[in-house]
Amino acid sequence: MTPTATPTAVATLLPTTTVGSFPKPPYLLEARRKAARKQMDAAELRALERKATEEWIRRQEELDIDILVDGEMYRGDMVAFFADQMDGFEIAGLVRSYGNRYYPKPAVVRPVGRRGPLTVDWFRFAQDLTPRPVKGMLTGPYTIAEWSFNEYYPSRRELVMELARAIHDEAADLERAGARYIQIDEPAIHTRPDEDFELAVEAMEVVTRGLRAYTVTHICYGDVPKIYPAMLRLAVNQIDLALKNDDFALLETFKSPRFTKDIGLGVLDAHSHRAETPEEIVEGIRRTLDVIPVKQVYVSPDCGLKTRTTEETVAKLAAMVEGTRRVRKELSA
Amino acid sequence: MHRVKTTVVGSYPKIPDPPAPGRWRSSVEKLQRGEITREDLHRVEDEVTADVLREQAEAGVDLVTDGQIRWDDGFTYFARGLAGFTINGLQRYFDTNVYYRQPVATGEVAWRAPITVDDYRFAVAHSARSVKPVVTGPFTLAVLSKDEFYGTLDQFVMSLAAALNKELKALAAAGAAVIQVDEPGLLARRDQWPLFRRASEALWDGVTATRALYTYFGHLEGLYPAMLELPVDVIGIDFVAAPRNWEILRKARFTKALGAGVLDARNTRLESPDDVAERARKAAEIAPAGTLAIGPSAGLEFLPRRVARRKLEALVAGVRLANGGAA
Repeated sequence: MTPTATPTAVATLLPTTTVGSFPKPPYLLEARRKAARKQMDAAELRALERKATEEWIRRQEELDIDILVDGEMYRGDMVAFFADQMDGFEIAGLVRSYGNRYYPKPAVVRPVGRRGPLTVDWFRFAQDLTPRPVKGMLTGPYTIAEWSFNEYYPSRRELVMELARAIHDEAADLERAGARYIQIDEPAIHTRPDEDFELAVEAMEVVTRGLRAYTVTHICYGDVPKIYPAMLRLAVNQIDLALKNDDFALLETFKSPRFTKDIGLGVLDAHSHRAETPEEIVEGIRRTLDVIPVKQVYVSPDCGLKTRTTEETVAKLAAMVEGTRRVRKELSA
Repeated sequence: MHRVKTTVVGSYPKIPDPPAPGRWRSSVEKLQRGEITREDLHRVEDEVTADVLREQAEAGVDLVTDGQIRWDDGFTYFARGLAGFTINGLQRYFDTNVYYRQPVATGEVAWRAPITVDDYRFAVAHSARSVKPVVTGPFTLAVLSKDEFYGTLDQFVMSLAAALNKELKALAAAGAAVIQVDEPGLLARRDQWPLFRRASEALWDGVTATRALYTYFGHLEGLYPAMLELPVDVIGIDFVAAPRNWEILRKARFTKALGAGVLDARNTRLESPDDVAERARKAAEIAPAGTLAIGPSAGLEFLPRRVARRKLEALVAGVRLANGGAA
C-alpha cells in the first residue's frame, strides 16, 4: 500500500531538511586515517564521531532547520557502511567510479541479512541531543544490490527482495526507537529504468510496509524523466530530488502528469563551492509552487553535502533557510 | 592445427589491491595538489602500463591491450584529442556504476594528430604478446556526447567517422595488425542501424589492418545477421550480459571471426576453467578455431585488480582445455 497521509508532518509550510551527510571536520578525518592504520582504537574514534555529530546537531538548530539529520560522521561509503555490518557480504576490493575516485565495492557471497540494528544507536544518540525530529537514514535495497557484486543469488531480483526485507526490519527498529521520519536513499534506482523499475517499486513496498513514520526516498545522479511518472508509485510519502543542479528543468517534467507525492525540493547544488543566495532560493521555490502545491513541498539541498567544506555547507544552508523564510512570509501575507 | 585464441576487450584495473600502494591514484592526487608535473604522472602511467602488459603476458593471453591506463574514460580520451569538443560534467556510463565526463561538440569535429599511436608504440615495445590498439567508435562517441553544433545525429556521426578514419590509418601505418573499434552504443540505439552501417564504411575506408568491431552490454536482436554486411573482419560479442546472443547467432551462418566474451567482466564470481572450456567449445560451433578468440565480456576495469588477474588465468586455463591440452 502506498502511504497517502502525511502522518507526522511538521507544523510549518515548506519544512526545511537536508539529504543526510555533512562534511567531516578535519580532526575526524585525521582520526579516521589513524584508526584505519590501527593507530587509534575504536572507542577513541567513536568519541570524536559523537563530538562531530553533536556539533552538526547544534549547527542545524542554530540554522533553524526543521527536520535534522545526524550528518553521518561515522559512515564512509553509503553502501559499504551497511554491507560491512550485514551477513552475506565481503569487500571485494576497490573499484573506480570516475577520475581517480575509487570505492570499496562489496560482493554478496552468502545469503544476506541483518545481524542486528545497523543505524539505531546513532539515531538514538542524535535524537537525544535535540527536541527537533531527526531523520533515520537508510540506503535502499536496489542501490545496495546494484553497487555490490552478486556472486550468490541467481538473479538481481532475489538479492534486491532479500535486502528489502532486511532494510524493512531496520526501518521498523528505527520507528520503535522514535524515528518520525525515515529516508531510504535510492540513487541507483534508475540504472535500468525499463528492465527493473517494477522491481524497485516492489522492493520499496516491502521496505515501508506497515510503517507509521513519514517516509522519504532520495534519488539523484540519473535520468529522472525516464522514471516519471512511474516513480510516483514508490511507496513513500516524499521523493527528494536534485532540482538546482539543472536549474529546475525537472519542473517541466512534473507539470504533466502532476506530482502527487510530497517533494523534497533540492535547491542547493551539492557539488558547487559557491553559496546560493536567498534570492535564488526564493526564485526556485516560487517556480516550483507554480507546478506543485505548497503543502507538498519540503526544502532541501540537492544531495548529501559531505564533499563541501563546513563553511560552504553552513553558508549554503543559511541561504536555504533564509530564502524559505521569505517565501513563507509572502505566502502568509 | 588451428587453436582457439585468448584475448581481452580493453580496460584493466589501474591500481593494485590494498595494502599495496596505488601509485597511479596517489600520483593523480599529487598532480592535483601541484606536487608533481603532468610528465611525472605520464611516467607513472608508463610504469603501470608496462606492469599491466606483463600481467596479461604472465597470465598467458594471446592478444592483449595496453589496459587503457591513460584513459579517464573511453570518450574524453578521444574528445580531448580531436578538434571541436569541450568537456562537460559526469554522466552514468550505460547501466554501470562508472561515470564519464560528457564531451560536447561545439564546433566542426576534426582529427588534428594521432591520439593513440604513441600509446600503441609504447605497448608494443613493452609487451611480450601481440597488442591491439582500441579506439572508441564514432557512433558510441556521438551517442554519449552532447551535440551543440551539428543538429542531427547523422551529421555528427559521419563527421566523427571521417575524423577517426585518420586515427585508424595512423595506427595501421604504425604497424597495428589488428585494430579494435568499440561500439557498445549500437546496442543502446539499434534503431540507428542504417546510420551505423554508413558510418562504418567511412570509418574503415582504406584501413589496411584486421578490422575488429566490439559490442558489449547487450543483445544483437534486430542487428544480426545484418551486421555480417559490415566492412569488418572480427565481431566481438558479449554472451554474459545477453546469453540469448547464443540463440540469435544461430539465425545465420557466422561469416566473420568471432571475439566471444564469455567471462563476466562485471562480476567477481570466478568462472572455472571447465566453465570457460565449455563456452569456448560452444563458441567454436559458431566460429571455428582459427577464427575464434575467447575473452571477458567487456573491459576488466569493473573488477578489483586481483579478480581481474584471476579471470585472465581462468580464461587461459579454460581455453587450453578446449584446445585439448591439460589445464
